[in-house]
Amino acid sequence: MKKKRKTAGVFFAPFALCFVLFWLVPFVYGCYLSVCNMSLTRGNQGFIGLGNYIQIFTAGSVYSEAFFRGLKNILIFVVTSVPLLVIIALVLALIVESLPEKVKGIYRTIYFMSYAVSVTAVSAVFLWLFNGNGGYINNVLLSAGLINEPVSWLEAQPFAWIVLVVATVWWTVGYNMMLFINALNSIDSALFEAVAVDGGGFFSRLRYIILPGIRNVMAYVILMTIIASFNMYGQATLITRGGPLNSTKSLIMEINDVIFTNNNLGEGSAMAIIMGIVVMLFAMCQNWLSKEKKEIKEVSGS
Amino acid sequence: MKWNRIAAVTLSAAMVVGLAACGSSGGDSGSEGGSGKIQISFLNGFTGGDGDFMKKITDGFNSSQDKYEIVESQEKDHLTQFKANGADLLIMGDTDLYTYAMDGMIQDVTDIYEKAGLSTDDFVETAMEVATVDGAVYGFPLDIHPLTMFYNKELVSDEEVPKTYEDLVNLNAKLQAQDPSLYVMTVPGSGISEQYWMALAAQYGVELEEDGYCNFAQDKLADVFMKWHDMVFVDHLSPANMGLDSEFTSFAKTADDITTQAAVSLTGVWFYSTAKEVYGDNLGIAPIPAIGDSSATYGQSHNFVISSEVTDEEKMDGIVEFLKYVYTPENLLNWADSGQTPVYKPTMDLIRENPEQYPVPAVNVDTVSDCAFSPQVYNGIAQTNYVTENIWGKVTTEENLTHEDLMGLLEQATDNAKQLAGVQ
Repeated sequence: MKKKRKTAGVFFAPFALCFVLFWLVPFVYGCYLSVCNMSLTRGNQGFIGLGNYIQIFTAGSVYSEAFFRGLKNILIFVVTSVPLLVIIALVLALIVESLPEKVKGIYRTIYFMSYAVSVTAVSAVFLWLFNGNGGYINNVLLSAGLINEPVSWLEAQPFAWIVLVVATVWWTVGYNMMLFINALNSIDSALFEAVAVDGGGFFSRLRYIILPGIRNVMAYVILMTIIASFNMYGQATLITRGGPLNSTKSLIMEINDVIFTNNNLGEGSAMAIIMGIVVMLFAMCQNWLSKEKKEIKEVSGS
Repeated sequence: MKWNRIAAVTLSAAMVVGLAACGSSGGDSGSEGGSGKIQISFLNGFTGGDGDFMKKITDGFNSSQDKYEIVESQEKDHLTQFKANGADLLIMGDTDLYTYAMDGMIQDVTDIYEKAGLSTDDFVETAMEVATVDGAVYGFPLDIHPLTMFYNKELVSDEEVPKTYEDLVNLNAKLQAQDPSLYVMTVPGSGISEQYWMALAAQYGVELEEDGYCNFAQDKLADVFMKWHDMVFVDHLSPANMGLDSEFTSFAKTADDITTQAAVSLTGVWFYSTAKEVYGDNLGIAPIPAIGDSSATYGQSHNFVISSEVTDEEKMDGIVEFLKYVYTPENLLNWADSGQTPVYKPTMDLIRENPEQYPVPAVNVDTVSDCAFSPQVYNGIAQTNYVTENIWGKVTTEENLTHEDLMGLLEQATDNAKQLAGVQ
């Protein structure tokens, strides 16, 4: 028994070491920084308690303005992008799964390929597509007579958000699709046959077999997509630069500016901690809602 | 079991060694590379077309040296690199120099001027002013890059090159009559926009600095923003809602039914290579027109600065040798090749002698002495960024913007500036 424990300990050690070095230490250090007056250039000016947090919640403070503007912006992005990233991924997964075996692999690769492209390349492509002055999308829409004058896709709202959401969906939807495909493959095919025997169509299969069958994966996909959306940075930095008028500046971009431009690592750390708490609350809500739903179904089913 | 244990311990040890290897570079200790030379780490942000020209200078120095070696690193966000990992020598803009000097990140180099055989009189006075903080010199000025005007000679004749606001209006009327997609210029929504409002603030004589912070809440500054606004929405010298870097991208395009083309571009000198590729001999270069009360322009400077961590004498001697090499008039001409305007007077004289070889510096060599710079205040970039990000965008997109609206926004910007400067 003792020997087994030692063996387990040796196997566990690399994980524990990585966990401590790359998660626990940075997290604890981040919490410590958030209660210090710390700048990257001047170093630590000392412990200030909750001073940084109070600044964030003090109306009129430059940090309060930055934090709540970033939070509002990222919530808009989360609310608009997450449903699309989940629904489109599921639809694509269902389409790919319904294809003949011969071409399934090709389409799976095509839809997933965009995920392998770097954010820099994705941004360059979307900047070209949505350029307000002679861009491809404007050219197509004008030529087709759908618009009378060029749209300022990147300089006006809600167009800037539309571009960011479209770019993000195009870039990352393949990953969620792959997860859904794996989940669909794990559903017992006998269940589909049973629905067919009962005369059920596609929507019956979706409602009674597919959605309950992929419930756990769905919860995971929603959770990870929410977290990824909260961390949106590259697309907004490269495509809209946070504009127009800071309306697409994400919370991560605001934190980055506070730390590196405003030279205030302590305040930036406090913002990051609060952002972490907000993301955690969202994750808990989502988890709670999916559990609630499961329990309701179980009760109504019984 | 034994092998498992060995593998686990090896893996853990490898990770610890890997982490230990991620230590900082630069700093005090004199380091010798594989070549046996004393290495000096040199960090700069020349990641665009100008990077090759700086590389030519450092390569030239390295090949001339048996004792010292400049290890150059060109990074997009080189100041963040400097904060995180340090460096011995770096290039710093005037917009950052004050803050880094106040924070003790860079050192007073007054004594090093003499060792490098230089005098502060060798440099353009305005460049020296922004390299000086509280009477101590913190930088060796490399260049000033003022807002510069490029024009398309196919659309703008020599007589039509705009020198005043009226010239812009007249040229625009001619171009619009020729083709509604042709404008005299484009006012960008973002990108170089800070230089736009700063240049006009200089022409209107606006003094932003006040007691260590930027006082934006000035009627004159609101007039500056309204002037740009009216250029777009009243005089229609530029289309509205133009985006990032559009002052140059629209200059480089050809007009058609759905594409706007600008005949003139008020832009940064770093676009020179691209502009030359597009227009060849039809590219004209001139100082920006006087839109306000005077012909002043706004510029930013690059400076060599030395980390305060450098105290090793051998390393400092190496930096001195490098500075001697850089500030040899002919060697610094390599930097003029990039389109930048060196502010070392002996090199400026060589540029004046060969204006055709250095077309952009030849135009700017006489304007740099009149350049206005960003205010020397703590966290200056953060203070001015707020205005650029939150107010400038309205200038090119909101037709109904008023002077009163702007004053409200500028008062808010001033409150924020006080907080960022640490005076409130």
